[in-house]
Amino acid sequence: MKVLADPAASLASLMGAVEEVETHATLPFTAHVGISAGATADLLGLFLRRHALLSGVRLRVTQGNFDDPLGDIERFGQAGVEFLVLAPFFDTLEPAFEARAAMMSEAEIAGRETEMRARWRLALKAAARFRNVFLCDFHRLTPSVAGGDRADVVLDRFNQALAEEAAAFANVRVLDMSAMVAEVGRAAAFDMRFYLRNTAPYSAALLNVWGRQVAAASRAYGGRFHKALVLDCDNTLWGGILGEDLPEGLQIGPFDYPGNVFWRAQTEFVALQRQGVLLCLCSKNDPAAVDALLETHPDMVLRSSDVIVKQVNWDDKVGNLRQIAQTLNIGLDSLVFLDDSAFECESVRTQLPEVTVFQAPANPVEYLGVIAQIKDLFLASGESGEGAGKTQQYRQRAAAIEAAAAFDTHEDYLASLDLTVTIARDDPARAARVSQLSQKSNQFNLTTIRYTAEDIARLIQDEATTVYALDVADRFGPAGTTGVVVVRREGEVAVVESLLMSCRVLGRGVEQSLWSTVVRDAVEKGCVRLQASYRPTAKNAQAADFYDRLGLPPQGDVGGAQVYAATLAAFIPPPTPWIKVLHV
Amino acid sequence: MFDEEALKKVMAAVLRVPEAQIGPDTSTDTLPTWDSLRHMNLVLALEQEFGVSIPDEDAANLSSYALIKLVLNELTVD
Repeated sequence: MKVLADPAASLASLMGAVEEVETHATLPFTAHVGISAGATADLLGLFLRRHALLSGVRLRVTQGNFDDPLGDIERFGQAGVEFLVLAPFFDTLEPAFEARAAMMSEAEIAGRETEMRARWRLALKAAARFRNVFLCDFHRLTPSVAGGDRADVVLDRFNQALAEEAAAFANVRVLDMSAMVAEVGRAAAFDMRFYLRNTAPYSAALLNVWGRQVAAASRAYGGRFHKALVLDCDNTLWGGILGEDLPEGLQIGPFDYPGNVFWRAQTEFVALQRQGVLLCLCSKNDPAAVDALLETHPDMVLRSSDVIVKQVNWDDKVGNLRQIAQTLNIGLDSLVFLDDSAFECESVRTQLPEVTVFQAPANPVEYLGVIAQIKDLFLASGESGEGAGKTQQYRQRAAAIEAAAAFDTHEDYLASLDLTVTIARDDPARAARVSQLSQKSNQFNLTTIRYTAEDIARLIQDEATTVYALDVADRFGPAGTTGVVVVRREGEVAVVESLLMSCRVLGRGVEQSLWSTVVRDAVEKGCVRLQASYRPTAKNAQAADFYDRLGLPPQGDVGGAQVYAATLAAFIPPPTPWIKVLHV
Repeated sequence: MFDEEALKKVMAAVLRVPEAQIGPDTSTDTLPTWDSLRHMNLVLALEQEFGVSIPDEDAANLSSYALIKLVLNELTVD
């Protein structure tokens, strides 16, 4: 593992280390990626595996043929590939295309573009079944003439065309190859010896950056979904120690070093919050002093309203992190922790290995690099628009927890929430969000089937299935689409294929309120029995007895799942008088 | 003089055979895993390991242990 993390590790030692770790480490999660490239890039597989292992994922790599995306996609589909890396190559579109572009007429370029578009449209369409497709765009191999040349113009135009084709598919993400080349430096990114002999243009340095980018963009091949960033305060949010330097002595502000580094850091954190990341504080400090600073210090970018949970006290950070996860009702593995203290980082690493830990470096200049990595973790695969209002939603939940203390019975409290559940059947407009929920929900997810947006679109079309999306609202505000049920009718049996709920809305009876709708629909469609199942995973223990509590009789274990069934006539769902159910 | 043990290690790792199989007689003819793709990786790995830049004309022709040794000997002379 040490070799894998060492940026200076040699190729030979990496090859050995990757095999070694893959053979001996216990990794809970395996993913399968296929590479289809317009140039020889077999060595990319090694670097994909390296960065997958670094995020705890064992990666199986299937190599495609040279410049045969359509054939590769078909073979990959049969081989069970989940993630696809597509890497068209500019200079091989025609031999020495970067040079040829300058001598081609406008009509010839347009013809080439049309052909290229049609080819990739077909390929992306065929690739719709893959979980994620990473389309690596065209990039220059030879340097452009100062000020730009014709090949640059054609390159931009073709990349624009690729981006337009990609935009039609929800599972496709375009990776910016030119940015990767720039990161490594053009001279170090390519090895012309092997390009000219074997059409193998890429250096190990470039392939390494590429492997890292794919791991980040896929959120470690689906193994990771970070939700909250937990920040220390002293020497993390500002330079200096609040208790010693007092507010006047802290280094924070846009104009002076090193205060400007912390000011920029805070700006980045708040920008993350605006894009849906939950910000928390975990600091050994006087809570009143930190609050005062967040409220009144003129140079603070971060304000109290940006922070959803504050654990500012003198207790140990491990306990505080547990508390944060509990308050937000998310797993510890959804937390990213940033602290300047090597001691705190180490104690969290050892006691809470699920938490991703970053140490703010002592040298402020290096801090920006760490923040870039954190941004990568959260943003690499794109937060949806609905993600952006999440702090607001979690805040409502936190407010609701506080309100709960004041009622005599739980039901009194629930009644006071004015809960509304709006059930939408087979609504294509909610397909993307439904798919996202199926990917993200772990704890209350009865069968843990992960659906792509295309899967959901297909199920919506399918006459034999109904996709229910539940929008939950209460007097604190709407929580958006937070629950999903997929019912498949097999003859006279209505089978609940999936039931999942965002943890934000659990504990209010929402998961009980949907059954009268499901039962009524099933009866209308001619079903007489209801069948459902619970398939245990590492994370969904809290839902283990859900169907028992719902009143469905267990039928025994089938293929690792507990199956429940009842006749529809005999099954009476528990009443939820405190919830108003609407249908759209 | 370069470290022959290191050479064996690199060749074994890149060509994916046990180190014991690498010796003075090893060549592209004796090792079926030594194909053109692995050969590129081998050149890259050798360059990294020994901190040398193998000239282009040599790079393509390093088809045996003996030849690699010869070129490395030339390149690592102080």
